[in-house]
Amino acid sequence: MIGTTPKPFEEITEALKGYDRIAVIGCDGCAKVCMTGGSDQVAEMAEKLKKIGKSVLFAMSPERTCYVGKTKTSLDPQLDKLKEADALLVLGCGGAVQITRQVIENYGLTIPVKVGLDSVGHMDTLIMGELAIEQCQECGECILNETGGICPVTKCAKSLLNGPCGGAQNGKCEVDSERDCAWILIYNRMAALGELDKLRRFMEPKDYSKMAKPRRLNIKERKVE
Amino acid sequence: MKLTELFDKGEFVITSEVGPVKGCLRSIAGSKLPQCAQEAELVRSVAHAINVTDNQSAVMRLGSLAASVKLKERGFEPIYQMTCRDRNRLALQSDLLSACSLGIDNVLCLTGDYTSLGDHKSAKSVFDIDSVQLLKIARGLNEGHDMMGNALTQSTNLALGAVVNPNFEPLDLQLLKMEKKIEAGAQFFQTQAVYDPRVFEKMVKKTEKFGVPIQYGVVTIKSPQMGKFMNENVSGITVPDWIIEEMGKAAKQDRKKKAIEITVRLIREIKPMVQGIHFMPLGWSDIVPTIMEAVKSAI
Repeated sequence: MIGTTPKPFEEITEALKGYDRIAVIGCDGCAKVCMTGGSDQVAEMAEKLKKIGKSVLFAMSPERTCYVGKTKTSLDPQLDKLKEADALLVLGCGGAVQITRQVIENYGLTIPVKVGLDSVGHMDTLIMGELAIEQCQECGECILNETGGICPVTKCAKSLLNGPCGGAQNGKCEVDSERDCAWILIYNRMAALGELDKLRRFMEPKDYSKMAKPRRLNIKERKVE
Repeated sequence: MKLTELFDKGEFVITSEVGPVKGCLRSIAGSKLPQCAQEAELVRSVAHAINVTDNQSAVMRLGSLAASVKLKERGFEPIYQMTCRDRNRLALQSDLLSACSLGIDNVLCLTGDYTSLGDHKSAKSVFDIDSVQLLKIARGLNEGHDMMGNALTQSTNLALGAVVNPNFEPLDLQLLKMEKKIEAGAQFFQTQAVYDPRVFEKMVKKTEKFGVPIQYGVVTIKSPQMGKFMNENVSGITVPDWIIEEMGKAAKQDRKKKAIEITVRLIREIKPMVQGIHFMPLGWSDIVPTIMEAVKSAI
């Protein structure tokens, strides 16, 4: 999922300054899991906005706001109210904000779309409702087959491909003493698998052109263009 | 002279590190010798070469290359340290070509401390390539081509050094990387600071067969506070309690003397296992000749 955290309410009110009639749109996908933009948080935000004198035209959470079809289907019945809106506040990832803007533009409406969350990356949920961690950079050339299913590109602060730096102490990373050194994890995993010799292989510099932004995925042909 | 030539001649190679100043080095009338040059002068009599750090601890300073060239102009043999933290593969290769063009003969290839440890914590860390890849790329430049295989009009001719941390646990993982560095092109190694000869011996037993010269890394503990600070804040280094205690017992005015004594003791034990010593004096360059004199007189 895409991890999100709430922006401070003051920042949101600043972004909505001068706009009175607001529509709040969350996301019942990732933002729901992060408890930042699901139905409950959208309702809470609507109440907070009312308390500071805003008029909330409607509040909703499409199933996946990053999916243009689902967002449009959710917004279609609200079109009349949308036309009255001074601004939209989206409690979703940056993608959800931009898809919402595109849907609004496709209606022929020019309404500011503001974001109420900060997106913090591809996250994997370890403990539901408590903890998610970043484990994948979507680098476009997965090397998990070579590293025992542990990604050094993401889990090593320096994204080292050929083994650890010299900085680990007691198995922890020099950047964060609470975090395990990714390369020690990889080493232990490969040792357990009896595949330590595979770590001797020189890993070529990464092809970062595969991460060149913005990428475009041809879903039909299953390839990046 | 290149470090590799010294090792080949069987010299016991002494190097000492200086950190470039946080400021510019343009000569202006009346300006005094910058700190890094002063420190180099203090070890001139004993050091074969001077390591010049590259934004050490991720603290922004004068570039390692500029400081290396300035030291070369003063008759020193610089070892240009190059980390992967601040430059991508284009900049690193370009700087290696620049270094050779400006008369630099030795390069030490390192990963580099992470940005958040320094004084520009919100900077974007690069780490486009790692130290093993950097060594391989540098070897390629020596062979006349860039990392994409494009021919150079003139090859570089650089002695390539690398680092290894004998304190690392598990040691075999650190040595696996050391072997990769050798295969990639590393011709000599400098170690992280080590305060336990047994730790060093454990490593040397496993690295003897690699056949590359290793210099023992020395960071002299100046005070008990420094020892504790390093244990708490400097990754990959363990200062044993006995050093902290001995330094604590010494009166403040006697600490330098005590520090020398402890360092000499360690060097005497470790010297037979290595092909040289690499000092990281952190402002105490003046004690390096005293230490080396004491080490020699004991032989």
